[in-house]
Amino acid sequence: MKEKKKLSKRKIVFLVAWISLMLVVLGLIFAVGFPQGDKSESIKELMRDAVLHEHGRVSFFGLEVNPAVISAYLMTGVLLLCALLIRIFAIPRFKIVPGKFQSMIEKLVEFFSGMASSNSPHKPKFVGAYIFSAGVYVCISTLFELSGLQWVTTRGTSIALPAPLADINGAIAMGFTSFIVILVAGLVTNGIKGAFKVLKDFSLPISMSFRLFGALLSGLLVTELVYYYAALSFVLPVIVGILFTLLHALIQAYVLATLVSIFYGEAVEPPKPKKKKIKNKKLKESQVETV
Amino acid sequence: MPLNIDFLQILLHAFNFLILAGGLTLLLFKPVEKFLNERREHFENAEREIAEKTAENERLRAQYEQNMRDAKDEIARMRADAEKEMAETSKAHISGAMEKAQSIVMNAEKEAEKRKEQILDSAQSEIGDLVVSATKKLLSDTVTPERNSALYDEFIRLAEETVASERASK
Repeated sequence: MKEKKKLSKRKIVFLVAWISLMLVVLGLIFAVGFPQGDKSESIKELMRDAVLHEHGRVSFFGLEVNPAVISAYLMTGVLLLCALLIRIFAIPRFKIVPGKFQSMIEKLVEFFSGMASSNSPHKPKFVGAYIFSAGVYVCISTLFELSGLQWVTTRGTSIALPAPLADINGAIAMGFTSFIVILVAGLVTNGIKGAFKVLKDFSLPISMSFRLFGALLSGLLVTELVYYYAALSFVLPVIVGILFTLLHALIQAYVLATLVSIFYGEAVEPPKPKKKKIKNKKLKESQVETV
Repeated sequence: MPLNIDFLQILLHAFNFLILAGGLTLLLFKPVEKFLNERREHFENAEREIAEKTAENERLRAQYEQNMRDAKDEIARMRADAEKEMAETSKAHISGAMEKAQSIVMNAEKEAEKRKEQILDSAQSEIGDLVVSATKKLLSDTVTPERNSALYDEFIRLAEETVASERASK
């Protein structure tokens, strides 16, 4: 009973923290407010448009945003719907000897929780859940690019929705969110020292963001380049596009999850006791023993 | 901002990811992890039970083997005792039988001696009677008192010589 109460308390704390964090970010969204003026410029180059998404902007609850935002929210909706269906219909029917689908879900969870346990042995639970979400998001949302789902821009033209993380804003959001998670974990676990330990790697969020962005964008750019030449635009783009997308989806999910778990593990690692103190203690103990 | 970096969109992406992370954690990660932990515990308990049962079986087997060894030792000891007892009994029987046979032989010898003496005695009396009757028959014709006493003397002398020679031959 006590354990259940403790668990329910933990759940309540988790829910409160989660909701308050979302409210803070939502507040910041409103504080930053709507874009002022028309920043759109006429960029003709295909590459530049693929990188910057300045031409094809879409409306998101009245806000003019890059199509990647729509992709991100659509992805979240799809993933949460799938998770809900699995939670309601599949998980209660899980068996001791698993079937194919159960094995797949178990392997997925075990992969990320195992990675968290090996890279952050002191506090693996939270980071396990975080890298599971981040890994699934990076992997599935990159594959979303293959769907070729069309959306209407603010100019009334059609645009294929890109991968959410092929947008620099999506990649920066992911990189900084991961960094903040690591920073807060260090602060909560080891106090100011833990936070300083994380802040020493100030390049971490930038490297995380741009690695993700660059890696995911490279596939898109190569596909665009191949498409650019008519001679190469038969069959080859399909192979190249799918190959790059699949590889990036898996590799980047793995890289991000590994990096986050390693840095998180370093941040929450308990401080090592000073050697002098140990020596003194040992001396005292040996003196006591001799007496 | 360069590279079309937009704080609003960054925050929108972060907000989206927070929703997703929380949802996936609550709906998928935690329940599956809980199930995995329960199953791990289930198998750990099963393994512990198997280990305990194996140890118990091992203990019973060792006890059984010890009992078997004890029983074999007991059987060997009992067999040795029985053999010893049997040897003693047979020895006693044999010695008893030998004593009995010896006593029987001795008795038989004594009986034979006794019979022989009886036979000899009876033979002597019969011979005496025959001699007397023969003598009577002879004397009835030619007997005189002198001759009669001479014959008696002669007869007694012969009889004594005969008995003495028989005894000497024995």
